[in-house]
Amino acid sequence: MKRVYGMAIRMVLASLALMFATGAGADVFVQCPGDTDGDGVIDDFTDPEYLAHPNAVCMSITGGDGFINMADTTVTGGARGRQLYMFGFADVTGVPPLDVIDVGTTAAEFPAPSIVVNEGEELYLTLTNVGMAYRPDLDDPHTVHWHGYADAAPVFDGLPDVSISVHMGGSLTYYYQVRGPGTYMYHCHVEATEHMQMGMLGQLYVKAAQDQLADGTNLNGFIHHDGYQYAYNDGDGSTYYDVDFPIQMSSMDPEFHDASEATQPLPFALMNDTYAMLNGRGYPESINTAELANTENGVVSQQQNALVEANAGEKVLLRISNLSITEYFTLMSPQIPMRVVGVGASQLRGTGGADLSYKTNSVNVGGGQSFDAILDTDDVAPGTYFLYTTNLNFLSNNTEERGGIMTEIVIHP
Amino acid sequence: MKTETDTALRHVSALRRIAASILMLAGLIVGGTAQAVISGTTGVNFDLTAKEGYVSMGDGATVYIWGYALDGGNVQLPGPTLIVTEGETITVTLHNDLAEAVSITFPGQTDVTTTGADSEGYLAGEAAATGGEVTYTFTATRPGTYQYHSGSNVGLQIEMGLSGALIIKPNAMNQAYNHPSTAFHQEYLFFLQELDPHIHTAVEAGLTPNLAERRAQYWLINGRSGPDTFFDDNIPWLPTQPYGAMARTHPNETVLMRVVGAGLDVHSFHTHGANFRVLARDGRMRETIPGVSGADAGLSDFTLTVAPGQTYDATWSWRGEDLGWDIFGHAPGDPCEPSGEECDPASPIYDHGKAIPVWLPEQQFLTFGGFWSGSPFLGQEGALPVGEGGLNLDGGYFYMWHSHIEAELVNFDIAPGGMMTMMIVEAPGVPIP
Ligand SMILES: [Cu+2]
Ligand SMILES: [Cu+2]
Repeated sequence: MKRVYGMAIRMVLASLALMFATGAGADVFVQCPGDTDGDGVIDDFTDPEYLAHPNAVCMSITGGDGFINMADTTVTGGARGRQLYMFGFADVTGVPPLDVIDVGTTAAEFPAPSIVVNEGEELYLTLTNVGMAYRPDLDDPHTVHWHGYADAAPVFDGLPDVSISVHMGGSLTYYYQVRGPGTYMYHCHVEATEHMQMGMLGQLYVKAAQDQLADGTNLNGFIHHDGYQYAYNDGDGSTYYDVDFPIQMSSMDPEFHDASEATQPLPFALMNDTYAMLNGRGYPESINTAELANTENGVVSQQQNALVEANAGEKVLLRISNLSITEYFTLMSPQIPMRVVGVGASQLRGTGGADLSYKTNSVNVGGGQSFDAILDTDDVAPGTYFLYTTNLNFLSNNTEERGGIMTEIVIHP
Repeated sequence: MKTETDTALRHVSALRRIAASILMLAGLIVGGTAQAVISGTTGVNFDLTAKEGYVSMGDGATVYIWGYALDGGNVQLPGPTLIVTEGETITVTLHNDLAEAVSITFPGQTDVTTTGADSEGYLAGEAAATGGEVTYTFTATRPGTYQYHSGSNVGLQIEMGLSGALIIKPNAMNQAYNHPSTAFHQEYLFFLQELDPHIHTAVEAGLTPNLAERRAQYWLINGRSGPDTFFDDNIPWLPTQPYGAMARTHPNETVLMRVVGAGLDVHSFHTHGANFRVLARDGRMRETIPGVSGADAGLSDFTLTVAPGQTYDATWSWRGEDLGWDIFGHAPGDPCEPSGEECDPASPIYDHGKAIPVWLPEQQFLTFGGFWSGSPFLGQEGALPVGEGGLNLDGGYFYMWHSHIEAELVNFDIAPGGMMTMMIVEAPGVPIP
């Protein structure tokens, strides 16, 4: 099986290379003001285009396929658990345009490369479709949907039915004026059930403009200092935090992925996710801080972990989201209460300014929902605490017990 | 077990269906009459009959249902949307053509009196099997969005389709409640439910289905699964599913969304385009000072998780704010059209004369959606390859509103479909019927 794939992949890569070398099919075109060599990195700060957009930030990603491994190593008995074929995004910021197809092919990451931007920036996000090398029968386009972007225009909303999506070999640069702070998410919206099940999803959050205030600014009695960070532009320091951790829940159905890899009919009606993950990993890999390479082609495709670490007394912002396409998850912090200060990238305030934030040990997170929750570790003894789903059937990696949506919060003295 | 031939046939029929849909859509959506008001039946006396019938799914499948019919007419899914006004005394007479007892319960209505019940029932007095009758009377005390559903053999009868929406309007026009914070320009109903066709097949065959094995395969808004949700109300080929789910508004106008969790499963309903703000849950405003402040304590969010039996009222508005480019595609010296707002720095859609800061790819690198006008600008059309687009002749901005449990965006094994519809932001001046 593997050998056949290996042959096929080489043939596809060869034909892709040939196609793109003759200029017939590829047009990697990364748009970024002040970027003179097309790699998505601003290198000329005197460029008139850059001067016209001095708040520009750029990122270049590819859409394609690749592999990850699940955390059920006691089942496989190896260093990595079950291997899954996936569709996904890869970060190619800094890669010269002529190399983007090569570098991006079969390099999909899970979750997708994180997009972290500051309010007031202009994000130029280029998506290049490198094709699915292991599925040469597919010529699917891809998109980026910034889930929750307020007042989105369809051209940059990534919904293929109402917009444009990018073919294999092409690039589309999405432009976003970055506004409201908070926790969003992003994913491909092409054939959303399939492409999202296959893994085209990731973290996206916006840091508040209030972080940039001048040292000593008085926020209604709260004195801002350099380095202070806030979940929202709260005007009173009520969403201050010391460290933040994105915690994205997701899940996968291995049978669906195997069917896709083997070019079999996809089991939509029988979809049954049995690997539940935090930031792309089931426990115990969720607390392993190493970047992990897959067993198919050695690409480091699981770069994130979900270990939460802070010093006693610090305020820890958890940016919680759920991009499972089958499950609702309740996320529980049993020992350290969470103060929920925002949902849906909106501060929990009423229209008249009423404080609607609340303290809780658990949040119920539907698909496509996000919560900003602050752990106050003032009265917490140093030690290791847990954060896990109380949908206890998902505390497993498929058939392996002790896995799934579980991670640790380590409070240092 | 389904055979591969079954699956193949389903695919063919779904493709035909979608091809046909696209042709019909061109006439029905684009030149269509998507109503800015909620379709339903108004009045104070309602005559409903519980009976059997069939509905059609987005993949062309036919599903046997039980439902409520109005005035002895077609069975329908969902039941007739009953639209009444605060303070009125409402009488609902239920006739039963089914072979088991049925009833209606009105969650949230506090003074329901039942007359002529044939049996006590579980949650409500019942009309006996095959010919029974019962009458319910209540005062529509509190404005809001509610549902009604059978109170008999509830797990099965809800699955079979015996539910509907009840909307109580305040005396104030164009408000959801008696407070100006709930004012709106357009209102739409999103009645969310799902069904498992195997249960329906078993019931039709006279078998007793095992509800414990229920696994929904169709996900519906207003009784239809996508793409049928895109069609107008009362289209002739869906006689038992009279309610469409397409919605329309203009920039800066306020849409009232009335969302009902009517099935047996939870749904996460995502609004592309902008956050909504919750006004009320289960017919009660979210207020900081009850009776005084109005709906000032609701959340702003981009996904609404609705549990079975819950209702939400929320407002939604697309402002085109601060995008960094002129959504009308003007050059700096161009006149301020169509509304003048885009030249007013105080207006949210102020970005006059600013170009989109990126080039869009050449057509050969793009796939085009049917609802793509060919132009990134509101109210405009652009060049499209032959056979692409075509469903958006007014150049509106289309936003999908859908379940963000994307496994629900299918009709049985066929994607896309399921719990999805479109919200259209039309250019200023484009009439919304
Ligand atoms: Cu995709
Ligand atoms: Cu989304």
